[in-house]
Amino acid sequence: MLTGAVIAVILIVATALIVLAGADPLVGLRGLVEGVSSSPYRIGELLVGATPIALVAITMIPALRAGVFSVGAEGQITIGAITATGAILGVRSLTGDAAPAPLYWVVGMLAGAAGGALFALLPAWLAARWRVNVILSTLLLNYVATGFLGWTLRTWLASPDTTATPQSEKLPEASALPDLIPGTRAHVGILLVIVAVIVFEWWRRSPQATRVAVFAARPALARRLGTTRSRTLYGTMLVSGAGAGIVGWMQIAGVNERLLGSVSGGVGFSGLAVALLGGLLPAGIAVAAVFFSALTVGAIGMQSATGTIPASIADVIKGVLLLGVAVIAASRPGLLASGRASTGRPSGGDDVAPDDDADAGAAPDADAFAGAASDPSADSSPGADPSPSPGPASGTTEGATR
Amino acid sequence: MSIELWASILAGALALAAPLAIAGIGEGFVERAGRLNLGIEGMMILGAFTGVFAASMFGPSAGLLAAAITGTLLALLMNLLVYTFRANEIVVGLAITMLGLGLSTYLYQLWIPSGQTNISVPTIARIDLGPLTDIPLVGQMIFGQSPLVYAAVLLIVAAWAISRFTRFGLQIRAVGADPASAALRGVRPRAVGARALLIGGALAGLAGATISLGVIGSFTPGMTAGRGYIVLAIVIMGRMTPVGIALGAILFGFLQSFSLLSQSTGIDLPSELYATLPYLVTLVVLVLTSRAQLRRQAGRLRFA
Repeated sequence: MLTGAVIAVILIVATALIVLAGADPLVGLRGLVEGVSSSPYRIGELLVGATPIALVAITMIPALRAGVFSVGAEGQITIGAITATGAILGVRSLTGDAAPAPLYWVVGMLAGAAGGALFALLPAWLAARWRVNVILSTLLLNYVATGFLGWTLRTWLASPDTTATPQSEKLPEASALPDLIPGTRAHVGILLVIVAVIVFEWWRRSPQATRVAVFAARPALARRLGTTRSRTLYGTMLVSGAGAGIVGWMQIAGVNERLLGSVSGGVGFSGLAVALLGGLLPAGIAVAAVFFSALTVGAIGMQSATGTIPASIADVIKGVLLLGVAVIAASRPGLLASGRASTGRPSGGDDVAPDDDADAGAAPDADAFAGAASDPSADSSPGADPSPSPGPASGTTEGATR
Repeated sequence: MSIELWASILAGALALAAPLAIAGIGEGFVERAGRLNLGIEGMMILGAFTGVFAASMFGPSAGLLAAAITGTLLALLMNLLVYTFRANEIVVGLAITMLGLGLSTYLYQLWIPSGQTNISVPTIARIDLGPLTDIPLVGQMIFGQSPLVYAAVLLIVAAWAISRFTRFGLQIRAVGADPASAALRGVRPRAVGARALLIGGALAGLAGATISLGVIGSFTPGMTAGRGYIVLAIVIMGRMTPVGIALGAILFGFLQSFSLLSQSTGIDLPSELYATLPYLVTLVVLVLTSRAQLRRQAGRLRFA
């Protein structure tokens, strides 16, 4: 019923926005549907948009399940793209542009993963060592990554030609990812999503997944299972950083064929939203990623069909959608780790669920003494189920797509 | 580097610090009450838009009012979802930010379709302080500011007085320190938290309008440029106290002003480094603060 109410609210908001723009909602809806499905190229664009979002979201699952709220995928994508571009161009100059395509792919992917992972380890280290809030450090590092990208495109990776926007030179043909559907920009990178899902399903059944889930609920208990706060932080951030870095490589090798200033393009934030929307499970994430991409691609169709509706309507609906998912997730305890491990604030209990007044009395200082293992406030968080039921959010998105 | 340049950098620093201090004071109340508002960025940008929109029709003061109302409405929504529906505060905050960024862009593009020139509205009128502004160097820096800067200073003093001398300030601190004990003594944690969040929302909206109506007088999508998140960092850096928040705001404002005027400083470093500097220094200070807090906690335990 709650899911139905959320869908109704989203539809009402969307209709209100369209009416506000002075357009006919039905014309707008037709524009949305045609924008997504009218030609193979459009379907290709749908996949091009959904693939990176899904990959970021899936690799983010362990961190979110551990309650480590990293908002840094955006910056990790950027750094991954820079290192991948540098490595590919390095291989080209080393081999005299004679390297076989698979070598380019392996080097590009590894360099991207390494760049993203290293950039994710920095906030993990700051959080493990000095309890710096992960949300804030990753957000701030996103700006650092943007600055580094700007400098990179002006100096060591700048295109030798004069161009209107800063960009790197074009990557060698052999390094490009092959197209999946001829005549579109959809590339074989989507296979990586399938690989990621398989790896995730393996991980989910492993002891590590249980440890991460226990850590989110009871850090002290997790230590008895053989994991510590810092180990969880490093492990989960490493995975999400490597995933985001690979996405950075995918964007330069599969889509843009060069490094651009807009390489991350909001994919990192969308990935976080999609991971939450998909209930932290691959099936839900796949549906949510396609839905997110469809909104973006379809909104452009909507803009051209009506002429008055700005394509940014997609961003408003995504925001409302995420609000709705937060409400749905709250009604099913255990679906979403509460995210306390990352805040590490000294104020003690009651960070996230303000109603747990009775539980929040635990002395914050005593907890801080437990140091590496426990979090000042995690004791009153709702238990995270090691294997949550399939996300209700997938229901939301399916319902809303119809 | 000339002294005049430093004077204008410092003058710019105060102007850029004002919105951060205003939003920071609000978030200070929110965090004192044990809450966290990650939606500040969204509240600021939507406030910046409604401020300019209302100012174009009814003048700049109406713009400020509209911005504060916008922030309050978003805070009400956040409060409803977090308290009534028990939704995750972090997710709701991020969603409010997405919503605010999206909605402000959407409404702006409806108001001014692409291709048309941006509308600019009168900014908040400066008060003429006569001879005071003619004092060399200091005159322009201190007495030539927008009234919003002085309002921010008053707000800091008011916030200090409220948290120190009033019943409400005491309640907020009690709830943030230990909600269970506060409840036992007859304070309602939910009501206090809700009030703090509404204050935080109103001030975040106002801070957004300070950016759009203080100096520029027009709106561009994404014009808050992550300053809502900087506010969160400043509040942690300033240990949630009004004076600490004000100092954090001035530090960030100074770095931003410095990076804007870096071209004329004659120091030859990449411009991207200047642009990144405010965020980088914020991160470093955040690390130092977290470190000091950790040490203090450890020290307290040893004596216990």
